[in-house]
Amino acid sequence: MSRLFPRFLGDRVRWGAVLVLFVFVGLIPPLAGLNENLNPDTSSRFQIFLGTSALVLALWAISYNLMLGYTGMVSFAHAAYYGVGAYTVALIFKRYHLPVLVGLGAAPFAAAAVGLVTGLVAQRAVRLYFSLLTLAISQLLFSIVFSWYDFTGGDNGISITLPDQLSDYTTLYYFTAAVVGICLLLMFILVRSPFGAALLSIRENRQRAAAIGINVKVYELAIYTIAALFAGVAGGLFVMYQQQAYPEMLYWTANAQPVVVSLLGGISTFLGPAIGAFIYVVLDNTISKQFPYQFDIILGAIVLAVVLAVPGGVSDAPSVFLRLRERFRRGEEAEKPPAESAGEAIRMFDVRKALASEAIQAEKVHSGKTLLRIEHLSRNFGGLRAVEDVSLEVKEGDRHAIIGPNGAGKSTLFNLITGQLKPSSGKVILDGRDITGRPPHVIAKTGIGRAFQITTIFPKLSVRQNLQYAMLAHAGYTVRPFGIADRIFAGEAQELAEAVGLGMWAGLPAGQLSHGDQRAIEIAISLALGSKLVLLDEPTAGMSAYETDKAMELVRRLATERFLTLLFCEHDMSVVFSTARTVTVMHQGRVLTAGTPEQIRRNPDVQKVYLGELEQEEVGA
Amino acid sequence: MTPGQLLLFAMGGLANAAYLFIVAAGLSLVFGALRVINMAHGSLYMVAAFVTVVIANQVGAGLGFWAGLLVAVAVTGAIGGVVEVLVLRRVYGREHLVQLLGTYAVSLVVAGAVRIVFGANYRTVASPIPGHLNLGGYSYASYSLFMIAAAIVIAAGVWAMLYRTNLGRNIRAAVADPDLLNATGVNVTRLYTTVFVIGAGLAGLGGSIVAPSQAIGSSIDTDVLVLAFAISVIGGLGSIIGSAVGSLIVGMVISFGLVIPATNPFALAFVFIIMTAVLTVRPRGLFGLPEN
Repeated sequence: MSRLFPRFLGDRVRWGAVLVLFVFVGLIPPLAGLNENLNPDTSSRFQIFLGTSALVLALWAISYNLMLGYTGMVSFAHAAYYGVGAYTVALIFKRYHLPVLVGLGAAPFAAAAVGLVTGLVAQRAVRLYFSLLTLAISQLLFSIVFSWYDFTGGDNGISITLPDQLSDYTTLYYFTAAVVGICLLLMFILVRSPFGAALLSIRENRQRAAAIGINVKVYELAIYTIAALFAGVAGGLFVMYQQQAYPEMLYWTANAQPVVVSLLGGISTFLGPAIGAFIYVVLDNTISKQFPYQFDIILGAIVLAVVLAVPGGVSDAPSVFLRLRERFRRGEEAEKPPAESAGEAIRMFDVRKALASEAIQAEKVHSGKTLLRIEHLSRNFGGLRAVEDVSLEVKEGDRHAIIGPNGAGKSTLFNLITGQLKPSSGKVILDGRDITGRPPHVIAKTGIGRAFQITTIFPKLSVRQNLQYAMLAHAGYTVRPFGIADRIFAGEAQELAEAVGLGMWAGLPAGQLSHGDQRAIEIAISLALGSKLVLLDEPTAGMSAYETDKAMELVRRLATERFLTLLFCEHDMSVVFSTARTVTVMHQGRVLTAGTPEQIRRNPDVQKVYLGELEQEEVGA
Repeated sequence: MTPGQLLLFAMGGLANAAYLFIVAAGLSLVFGALRVINMAHGSLYMVAAFVTVVIANQVGAGLGFWAGLLVAVAVTGAIGGVVEVLVLRRVYGREHLVQLLGTYAVSLVVAGAVRIVFGANYRTVASPIPGHLNLGGYSYASYSLFMIAAAIVIAAGVWAMLYRTNLGRNIRAAVADPDLLNATGVNVTRLYTTVFVIGAGLAGLGGSIVAPSQAIGSSIDTDVLVLAFAISVIGGLGSIIGSAVGSLIVGMVISFGLVIPATNPFALAFVFIIMTAVLTVRPRGLFGLPEN
């Protein structure tokens, strides 16, 4: 996330804000005492109580934001796990007469256990249907708590009375602050780790995340469970200062609180929701005390304003401030890289070098063994046979093109090879391993990189991060919940970015680059995987003639330097004949013929397929 | 359970299904064409219920209810139009998180406004169709029969609108490919507004029709929204047939769940168990459209 690595000044402002927040949190009890001395109307106990509730809300909201901001999941069940944590503490204290700290220790595990089981169910669906499933789960848990009168107290909830040493407000405040602080530290380590990088890549682009070897469902379930765990801690702390747990804590509308708080503070920063929590508590106790009905309207207006106008929330204030300041100081600042790359990258590399190294690999082809073998592969869509009985071999080090008119089944074949589709019958064997019908993330790990026909990158991540995260996933580092992801493979990623001519733009969000350069990132990601075989689905689609020439020179050079095997499909015959050493022609889902470019060029059947196609097009037009 | 009771509970389930269908059909129609889950759908339902009750009680029994119904549908349709133009237009095509939060914000504003205008007390209105039928020895409100008939008429109306009019043809085309539809000269922006107004009007119609059969309070928005979600998910978002099947299932489960002593406290839980089970087996519901 670019937000974690802002420009230097922004960095200072941001860390300054964090420091102010921490000092403020530490000073709330003495400040409240001072305030009481100055204004006898106010109660320091109440102010400290509000501070405690803000801390708990901050923890709850940040745990929600692990899903919302870092993974892009909208859950309606998070309040249920918060409620499970609260009931765990209350029940253990009240029914089993154990110390409240035992309950607090058990709360995260109870919440995580419920989160894991229900998360497994919710995982059956994705995105919107996932959200609706969590809604059902939340209501289910709510009705259990609400209806199980003998155990949970039904709609009365459970009230507890804490022992004296913990009922002192200031002690409880610092205790809460310490627990919240530890939890935040753990979560911060998590989001900066390679594991966090995997979550970000899922949020940015599920398909690409799977294609670099990330098992999307497992990571989503993991973060869902971890978020539930911290929500359980927050729920437990809630019971300690409120001294009660009640069923409404689990009701689905209760999720509004962490969502609003996260939005208010900014979902793209780690501590944003904490700032949002303090703002929310202050708003709640000033406005809602005087205008209980208007509070909903004001809250709604704030959410609308944030969603439509300031997606960054309050945490965006430093950036907004910087932007304004730059406007005043324009001209004094040092020259910056252009905001858009305008397709320049393609011009940056040395074509002669690429052509000179061409000869090295030509020999390897003939001695090469079979890298990819496809046997009698078929796939039907209802009655349509998109791919029918296709068999082909790709030799190691070869550059193998698949050509054929529209609808010949080329993209379907690619999707069958990389696991986006499952074949109806037949086999795909890579380097002696049967990978037929395996999911995309497994196939990515066995060594097939893929560039999609429609550009599939992580648009909000920088070019370097795009490559870095692919390397992390490929190396299997993304299971690590510690370490700093952006420091691992930074050099290698920069080097690769330079190799594809994107060195100057490595720090820019990938989505800001031109179409041609995004294609280059797409190709570079498939190279970052260290794959033996790289599949390129129409690598030059949508490029100008100039960009096409340059891009294919780039592909050839990289294939040569890195001893890659290429399998690509392409409509542009000049691209095919300038790059391919083997050509397979497909027509109506079948393999028509295969051979060297020269053989294909002379083959009368191939000419007929293309001419026939031409005639039809002319008739049709 | 005697056959008479069985019949009574089944008819009760049908009456539940009737108003739930009207609400869920609006939600589903909007999702099908606009690909937006309208979190404010329940709020529009609540507005209509309050408007109907207030007008019906002002004007007086009989005619009052029908006047209230017309005004309520007009009001919710108008609110829908304003919301579409001011909010939804700016969230089409964005992540569904943004859409959920945008319409959720609208629901907060509308719910807050309802509490200011109508207060927090429960309100009731006399049924415009009084009297009871004898159903195998048990009495059954005539008004429930009217609700069932109304739902059937509305289902037929929505079907005819979708499959027998130009508007419906355009809506179905927009479900398939809005860009292509735009390229053929249809004003898709205006079409979306129309669809949202119809969806909002259906929420309003549901709220009006339900008013004489329940006490109307300021939390009925989320209660009905959750059920409408459950129906849409069971039947499949974007499918009118799915809404009908889903409403029948949910209506019956609530009716029977509530009267069997052993299941009474868990009647609503059953709805969500079914919802979870259906989504687990068929992730897009029984008749659902894929998400774009």
